[in-house]
Amino acid sequence: MAATMQPEAVRPSMNGESDFSRAKWAYLDSFLSRPGAYSDPEMFVPGEIPVKSISESAQILVIGAGGLGCEILKNLALSGFRNIHVIDMDTIDVSNLNRQFLFRAKDVGKPKASVAAEFVMKRVPGCNITPFVGKIQDKDEAYYKQFNLVICGLDSIEARRWINATLIDMVDDEDPDSLKPLIDGGTEGFKGQSRVILPTMTSCIECQLDMHAPRAAVPLCTLATIPRQPQHCIEWAHIIKWEEERKDIQLDTDEPEHITWLYQKALSRAEEFGIQGVTYSMTQGVVKNIIPAIASTNAIIAASCCNEAFKLISSSAPSLGMPGTNNYMQYTGDAGVYTFTFEHQKKDDCPVCGNLPKDLTVDPEQTLEELIESFAARPESQLKKPTLKTEGKSLYFPYPPSLEEQTRPNLKRKMKDLLSNGEQLAVSDPAYPISFRYNVSFS
Amino acid sequence: MAPKRTATPPPLHDLPTAKEKKYDRQLRLWGASGQQALEETHILLIDNGSGVTGTEALKNLVLPGIGQFSILDPAVVTEADLGVNFFLEDESLGKFRAEETVRLLVELNPDVKGTAVKEPLETFLAKDGVFTPYTLVLVAAPIEPTNLAQIQKHTAALNIPLFYLHSVGYYAHFSIQLPPAFPIVDTHPDATALDDLRVLKPWPELIKFSQEKTNGIQSMSAHEKGHIPYVCLLLHYVDKWMAENDGKLPEAYKDKTAVRNMIRAEGGDEENFEEAYGAVLKSLNPPKPSSSVREILTAPETQQLSPNAASFWFIARAVQEFYNKHGVLPLPGGLPDMKAHSNDYISLQKIYKEKARQDFAEVTSTVQQLEQTAGHSKPIIDPKEIENFCKGAAHIHLVRGRPLQIAQPGADVKFNDRAKALANELTNPEGLMGLYIAFLAFDDFVATHSPPTTQADGTSSLIAPGEPGADHEADAAKLTGIAHKIVDNLITEAGTRIEDPEYSELKEEIERLCTEITRAGGKELHNIASLAGGMIAQEIIKVLTAQYIPVHNCCLFDGIASRSSVLRI
Amino acid sequence: MLKIWSMKQQQQKNEAASGQAKKKKVTAAQLRVQKDLSELSLPGTMKTTFPNPDDILNFTLTITPDEGLYKGGQFNFSFAISQNFPHEPPKVKCKEKIYHPNIDLEGNVCLNILREDWKPVLNLNAVVVGLQFLFLEPNASDPLNKDAANDLMSDRDRFRRNVRSSMGGGQVKGESFDRVLLK
Repeated sequence: MAATMQPEAVRPSMNGESDFSRAKWAYLDSFLSRPGAYSDPEMFVPGEIPVKSISESAQILVIGAGGLGCEILKNLALSGFRNIHVIDMDTIDVSNLNRQFLFRAKDVGKPKASVAAEFVMKRVPGCNITPFVGKIQDKDEAYYKQFNLVICGLDSIEARRWINATLIDMVDDEDPDSLKPLIDGGTEGFKGQSRVILPTMTSCIECQLDMHAPRAAVPLCTLATIPRQPQHCIEWAHIIKWEEERKDIQLDTDEPEHITWLYQKALSRAEEFGIQGVTYSMTQGVVKNIIPAIASTNAIIAASCCNEAFKLISSSAPSLGMPGTNNYMQYTGDAGVYTFTFEHQKKDDCPVCGNLPKDLTVDPEQTLEELIESFAARPESQLKKPTLKTEGKSLYFPYPPSLEEQTRPNLKRKMKDLLSNGEQLAVSDPAYPISFRYNVSFS
Repeated sequence: MAPKRTATPPPLHDLPTAKEKKYDRQLRLWGASGQQALEETHILLIDNGSGVTGTEALKNLVLPGIGQFSILDPAVVTEADLGVNFFLEDESLGKFRAEETVRLLVELNPDVKGTAVKEPLETFLAKDGVFTPYTLVLVAAPIEPTNLAQIQKHTAALNIPLFYLHSVGYYAHFSIQLPPAFPIVDTHPDATALDDLRVLKPWPELIKFSQEKTNGIQSMSAHEKGHIPYVCLLLHYVDKWMAENDGKLPEAYKDKTAVRNMIRAEGGDEENFEEAYGAVLKSLNPPKPSSSVREILTAPETQQLSPNAASFWFIARAVQEFYNKHGVLPLPGGLPDMKAHSNDYISLQKIYKEKARQDFAEVTSTVQQLEQTAGHSKPIIDPKEIENFCKGAAHIHLVRGRPLQIAQPGADVKFNDRAKALANELTNPEGLMGLYIAFLAFDDFVATHSPPTTQADGTSSLIAPGEPGADHEADAAKLTGIAHKIVDNLITEAGTRIEDPEYSELKEEIERLCTEITRAGGKELHNIASLAGGMIAQEIIKVLTAQYIPVHNCCLFDGIASRSSVLRI
Repeated sequence: MLKIWSMKQQQQKNEAASGQAKKKKVTAAQLRVQKDLSELSLPGTMKTTFPNPDDILNFTLTITPDEGLYKGGQFNFSFAISQNFPHEPPKVKCKEKIYHPNIDLEGNVCLNILREDWKPVLNLNAVVVGLQFLFLEPNASDPLNKDAANDLMSDRDRFRRNVRSSMGGGQVKGESFDRVLLK
C-alpha cells in the first residue's frame, strides 16, 4: 500500500543542487506536515519549515562512535538529518561487535569514526557524515560553533565535563546561535539515562556530577596485607606488583600479554591466601573497569537522545530540557521496565555554569601588579589575595610560598607578555567560594 | 614483603575463547547459561506494517547471538521503506522485504541464521503445526484481529511466549503473553539484597567461630579487636543484649537500636565496628521468605506435584518442605566483604559455604525422593539447577501469564478482573492508561476500516487512521470516538464513576493522544521504533534466558513526555 | 529557535571560515586546584615545589617532621592531579624508598582519603594534613609494609631503631633504604 503514497503537503526544493528525491521520506514529511496535539503553534508551522530544518539547516555533532554512537548515527540518518559530524579517537575491538552494529570482524583495528560514517552514508545515500578520528580536545571553539546541537554517547566522565564546560563557555548573550543544546546518553547493563542540557540555562553535566557513582575502591593496605576477595588479588597485581616488577613497561590493558601477566600474579596470590574465584575474565574486568554493555540498552538510550534532538530541531513536540521542565530520563530495565523522568535542578554554586566567564578589557601595556590592584577596586570582586592563572600559565600565586616566589617576577611584567588577546583568565581568592573567569580582550 | 615466587603454569584453559571475547560485555550480565539459552532459540517475527520496530528488536537480538530468526512478511520494498528501515538499502527496492531484511540482519553476526517467509499470513496460518519450530513469536501491528486471535491460540497451546508490538509516531506499546506459569530463579537482585547472614538464626559452627573470635574482646589489642569480622561482632553483641534481656531476640526497632548503640559504645570508629553498626538494621531480621516467595512455594503446582511437572516445581516443593522443617530457606552461602584478617575471612566464608552445601544436599535428596514418587526411573533434575534455586530461593519470581487483549470489531473491549484496577489507572497522572486505550482504539479502527481480504500480491490492505493522503482530522475524530467509548465501557465495567472536571480532562487527554496517533498515519518514526525495539529486545532476552524480571504484561512509551508505564491488562 | 537557526547559519559559516584562534579555557580541574592551592595552609614543616610553575596539576610536597619518630627526615611526595579532579583523588606517591608501615617500597601510600574515602568535597589541604599525620602516628593496624608494621607492633624500640637506620640510608632486614636525613 505504501508504494502508491505521496507525501501530502511538502516537496521541499533542495536549492537546486541535488536531485535528491523526497519519496524515501514520505512518512516523515507527512508527519511533519500535520499539526501536533502537543506542539506549540508559535514554534511549529507544519510543512516545509520543519522538514528543511531537519534535512538542510541542522548541523549535528555526535561525540563517540561506540555502542551509543553507532545507534545515534543510524537514528539521525533515518530521522532525515543530512549534515552530521562524528568524533571518536578509538579503534574497533572484537568485544565491540556484540553491539556496535556498524562494524564487522574485518574492521577490527580500524578507527570507529570513519568506519561508522562510511557505513551509514552508504546505507542512507544523501546523508553526509564527516568523521574526525581524534580527541574532542583537539578541536577549538570555531569548530564547535558550526553545530546546532551536540549529542554525546561517551563512557568517559572527563570528556563529558570537557565538552560541557566548552559549550557553556561558548554561550554569548548577544548571539542566540552560540547556545548549543547538549544531549547526553549513558548505559550500564540493563540501565541507562538520557538528558538534555541547555548550556547556562539549565542544570549542566557538572551540576549533575553526583549522578555518576564514584568507582568503589578498596584500601591499599587491604590489598597489600589482608586480601579477602579475588578482586583484591587482581588489584594488588595491578597497582602494586606491576610497579614492583615491570615499572619500565607502560601497562596496556588492551594487551593480552599484560592481562595474562596480571592474571597469573593475581592467581598465585589468591592461592597463597586460599582465595577462590580469580579468572582471566575477572582480571580483565577489574583492570579495565569494564562496564557490561548490550545492544538493546544502547538502542533505547541512543533513540531517546535522538528523539529529543528531533523534537528540538523540528519543534514538532515539546522536548526534554526546557527551563522549568523535566530534563533527565533514567531507564531501568532489569526488573520490569521503569523510567524516572525528572527535572535536575541547576546548581547556583556549580563551578562551571554557576560562574560564567565575564568579559574583561585589559590594557596590554599594564603590568600584572597594576591589574591586581584594579581588581581590588572592582565591585564584584573586592579581592584580597587573588590568584591568577590562564590555561597555560600561572600568572601570580600568593600562596604556597614556592609558587609565590616563582610567579613574583610576573608582577612587573606587562599583560601583553603574559597572555594573548582572547585568552581566559581565572581568578580565585580565599574570600570567595567560587573562582571568577574572565575572557580578556586588549584595549 | 619480599615477592614470593610461586611457579604457576599458565592456566591456558581459562583464557577466553573467540566467542567469549566477542560476547564479553554481555556474558558479564547473563553468563554462559544465559548465552546458551539465547543460542537455542528461534524467533519468528510476523510483520505487517512498515516493520521497523520488529526489525530493530531483531537487530538487538542478532547482535548478542540468538540461534535463529525468521521474518514473515509478504511485502515488497517501497521507497518509503528506505526512509525508515535501516536494514534495507537502495538496491532492495522492489524485492521482497523479508528477504532483504534477513540478508542485512545476518550480516551483523555470522553465528546467527535467518530465514525469510514470504507467504501471506492467512496461508501460513492455515497450515498445521506452523508454530512448533519457534521459541518465541513477535507480532507487529497492524494485523487483522482474526489472525492475531489465531496466533494467540496456537502460541498459548504450545506455551510459546508471544509479543504484540505497536509503534506509531511518538508512541509505542507492547504486550507480552507468557505461559500461565513462568518461573524465574535468577532474578539478579541488587548485590546488597543477597546478603543473608543469619545473625538471628546462627548454626553451631558459626556460633563457635564467632565465640572464638570475640572471646576476651575487652582485653584484646587494638589490632586484634580492629580485625574481628563484623558478623562475629553482631553475633557477640546480640548475645550480650539477649543475656541482658531475658533471652529475647532484638527484633523490634528499639531493640536493634540498642544493639547498635552498644556496638558504637564499645568500638568507637574502628572500621569493623562501623561496618557492624551499619549492618544492624538490615541484618537483625529473622530470615523469613517474602510473601511472594511463600506464595510460589505453596502454589497449586507444588501441592499437587504432577509427574511431568517442570523441574522448577519439584525443587520448589522440596524447598517448601525444607522451610516447613527448619523455618528458614536454604542458606545462599555468600558472604559480603568485610574488614578481617585474610584467614579469618576465608574460614568464615567456608562456614557459610559449608552450611549452604548441607542445605543444598538436603534439598537435593528431597527432590530425588519426589522424583522417585513421581515415577522417574532415575533422577533427571540437574543438581546445578537445584543449587541455583537454593542460592536464589529468597528472590525467585513467578509470572502468571495472562492472555493478550485483542480488540475485535463490533465487540466491546472487556477488562474483566482487571477492570477496577485499570479504571483507577485512568486518573493516575503518572500512568499511560489513556495511551493504551488509544492503541486499542487504533486496532479497532484498523479492523473496522480495512477491506476484508488481502491483496492479490499477498500484501495486507489494512487501513490505519490518518494514512498519508487521508483526511487526518476526520480520522482523528473517529479514533477519539472509539477511544471514548472504550473509556466509558471500562468505567461502567468497573462499576465506578469519574466526576468532572477529571472526566472531561481525561476525555480531552484521550483526544490529544488520538490526534497525535492519527498524525503519524500508522507510520513509525525511526527513533521511537528503535527505542521500542530496544525495550522489546531487553524483554525478549529476559524471557529467553529466564533471568531478570520481564514486564508483566503491557508496556507503553510516550516519546513526547519521554516516560514509560507498565500496566497489567 | 528554529527560524533563528536557519537565518544565522550563513553567518556562522563565515565565522568558522575566518578561523578564530583556538582560545584556551581554564579547565574545571585547573580551576579547582587553583582554588585549593589558594586555600592551602602549610605549617613550617611542609613546603611545595613546582617543577613547572605553569603546571599546577603536578608538584612535590616536602615534609620535614619536627616531632615523632621521623623527626630529622625529609620526605618528598609527588602529586599528580588528573583532569578528572575532584571526581578522582590526586595520585600521591612517596619519591624516596622509606621504612614506614603505611608506605610501601614503591612509594604507594595507604591513606583512606586518597582512595576509598575520597570525596569531591575534600580538598588538597585534607590530603596534606593526612600525609603529615602518617609521620606523627604511623599505623601498624593496616599496613602496606608488613615488616615495618610487625616491628612497630611487637617492639616499638626496635621499630624506632629501624626508622633511624633506614633514614640514614642503612639496611633493615637486608632491604636498603634511601637516605632522607636533612644533613
